[in-house]
Amino acid sequence: MNASITQPPTALGLDVGTSRIVAAQRHDKDIQFDTQLNAFVTIPFSKLTQGVLKKERIPHLVQDSEITVYGDESERFANLFHRETRRPMLRGILNPEETGSLTLVRQIVGLVMGEGEGQGRRVCFTVPAPPIGTTPEEMNQHEGGLKSMLSKMGYDPHPIPEGLAVVYGEMEHSNYTGIGISCGGGLCNVCLAYLSVPVFSFSIPKAGDFIDAGVAQLRGEPATRIRTIKEESFHFNGHFVNKIHQALSQYYEDMIQALVAALKDEFASVQSMPKLNRPIPLVLSGGSVMPPGFRERFEKSLREVELPVAISEVRLASNPMVSTARGALVAALSEV
Amino acid sequence: MLRDALRRALQVRALEFRARHFADPADRLHFLRGKVARISDGAGGRREATQFRQACLRHIRRGCVTAVTLLVAFENTETTLVVPRKPKAKQPTGQIRLVQTTPQFDLYSNGLRVEEQYATSTAPRRYLIFPAHHAGPIGLGAQWRSEPAGIVYHTTESHMAPFEESENRSLRRAGEGLLAYVSRRRSYHFIIDRFGRVFRIVRESDYANHSGNSVWADRYWVYINLNQSFLGIAFEAHSRPSSAEPSVNAAQIYAGRILTDMLRSFYGIPASNCVAHAQVSVNPSNYGVGYHMDWAAHLPFSQLGLPNNYTLALPSVTLFGFAADPAQIEINAGGAPQGMSQGWEASVAEVRREAAARDIPLEDYRKQLQKRYRDAIQALRGNGAYQEYN
Repeated sequence: MNASITQPPTALGLDVGTSRIVAAQRHDKDIQFDTQLNAFVTIPFSKLTQGVLKKERIPHLVQDSEITVYGDESERFANLFHRETRRPMLRGILNPEETGSLTLVRQIVGLVMGEGEGQGRRVCFTVPAPPIGTTPEEMNQHEGGLKSMLSKMGYDPHPIPEGLAVVYGEMEHSNYTGIGISCGGGLCNVCLAYLSVPVFSFSIPKAGDFIDAGVAQLRGEPATRIRTIKEESFHFNGHFVNKIHQALSQYYEDMIQALVAALKDEFASVQSMPKLNRPIPLVLSGGSVMPPGFRERFEKSLREVELPVAISEVRLASNPMVSTARGALVAALSEV
Repeated sequence: MLRDALRRALQVRALEFRARHFADPADRLHFLRGKVARISDGAGGRREATQFRQACLRHIRRGCVTAVTLLVAFENTETTLVVPRKPKAKQPTGQIRLVQTTPQFDLYSNGLRVEEQYATSTAPRRYLIFPAHHAGPIGLGAQWRSEPAGIVYHTTESHMAPFEESENRSLRRAGEGLLAYVSRRRSYHFIIDRFGRVFRIVRESDYANHSGNSVWADRYWVYINLNQSFLGIAFEAHSRPSSAEPSVNAAQIYAGRILTDMLRSFYGIPASNCVAHAQVSVNPSNYGVGYHMDWAAHLPFSQLGLPNNYTLALPSVTLFGFAADPAQIEINAGGAPQGMSQGWEASVAEVRREAAARDIPLEDYRKQLQKRYRDAIQALRGNGAYQEYN
């Protein structure tokens, strides 16, 4: 009898997003995803609290007079202590306003990838395409910081643009030709690839956080509450049950229009466009594409503009929350 | 200019076609990333063509030297040193393509829908094949392959509730139990249940445990232990050789037809390599054929879009000297004229003819053939390619 051969995970994919960090690794032929919120909350230090956190194995760091709870548990503690969660990253890159943001990302990455498991394994990690208003130095600093962090953890790190990761994760059947869009928390990343080679990549800074913050300001509600409403009950059906839904719809509309306009501009400015002999697919991924009706709304806006390439289909990724990590894993495995 | 553009377009088409043969996404990406850069570099393409021509010449020169050396070594044998190339298989009518893929199912352009709920994997397929007509040592000319070469049809021989409306619940329950069981055991690549639904069990890129000790051959190559080289399709059914009543219903036959068409279209499988489990199954401990006898008769070849492959001689008999009790074959084939007894009779006649042509007793000739089988198994073991799990 031949048992199935179990291959040790030789490579990993890591999606370092503004709101979530997702790791993907292959066990045998199945892909396993581990995900954590890329967020933290600080609470006042007390020995009793620290003891409880240790006993309950809740990931935390003790710094001076504060305890920082990070990852998925941060949301629970934020609700418990009536605080807002904070982000180690902002608009796709390490948050310059939070000191120790890299340390926190390091801790959260440790939760999803395991500690002491580097052993020289190849890891492809996602980086955003430069958004408008971001200097190249900030981008280089972000990429360099993550690379150095992963190297110290014992991995062999390689960056991959987030939009390209969507293409690698979702467009196997079109031989990695098409447009991949990742609408996350901080940015919407876009990439057009032709036979696996990126033609252009860009990002816009209008994404989930932009919607939450805009609606929160408009309605005078905390952004965390807006995010919860958005994730739990918002949908595009033309009938909005309350003013928050109506505002969410307006901000989503703004994001979609900005995305489509940027896509059109990028096509117009690209220097050497390959000759595409057939219509190409467009795949939407990321947490911000989850509301029911988003795909249809996006497709309607896309069909209203004239692009130099024909789009065969606009579809959601098979699992929008993890498709970027999946693509990063495919990229890592392809080079092992 | 136009010529360059045309050349590049053809290269891209060829590249896309070749890339589709990589079932693993990472392998496909690796292949594409490696090749695209060279295509986009026109000069690189010309340089590559020149290098390719030079490499061909080098190989021809080396081949000539090797051929002369081996001819001298085997001058007293009938060794054929020309390793045959597998011909391009004819496609079935039209090119079938994947239309939609979701986590729940795959939909193909011929209407085939393959359910994915029980899909699992083992390890990528890789197997050794031997030249079919090669009088020298059997290991000479063996080659590694990784694409499916054929299809073996099975019956599940599982519990069968009466196919009646009152039994719908039992039918569904039995079907689900069977699917979970075969998925755990990685028993086949596909199951066609009694409602004609097609379930993927083991992905086509991987081997499945469906035909452990087994032999088949086409005009050019011999395949031994077909778990790796052939795809296994099982009908949820019992083999009923002696019964005139068909083992499978119309829905199952239709599903079998479009599944066969899809697999032949995707993998270029020749019709002669689509056979019943009974035709390929062997028992090496007593050199008997037909260790498993599912579909020994009544496999509806014509309704599956295939010629009557029951008439094909059994390679286990003609190439490796396996034998069986003719009465047993007759019983298992149910005396049906369309069963495998036709191929069995043709095989026995061929072995007799070959023994007579060599002027040696039939039993001695069979022993020579059996030694070739042992040598082949030895070659498989030596290359880490031996697998016998049924």
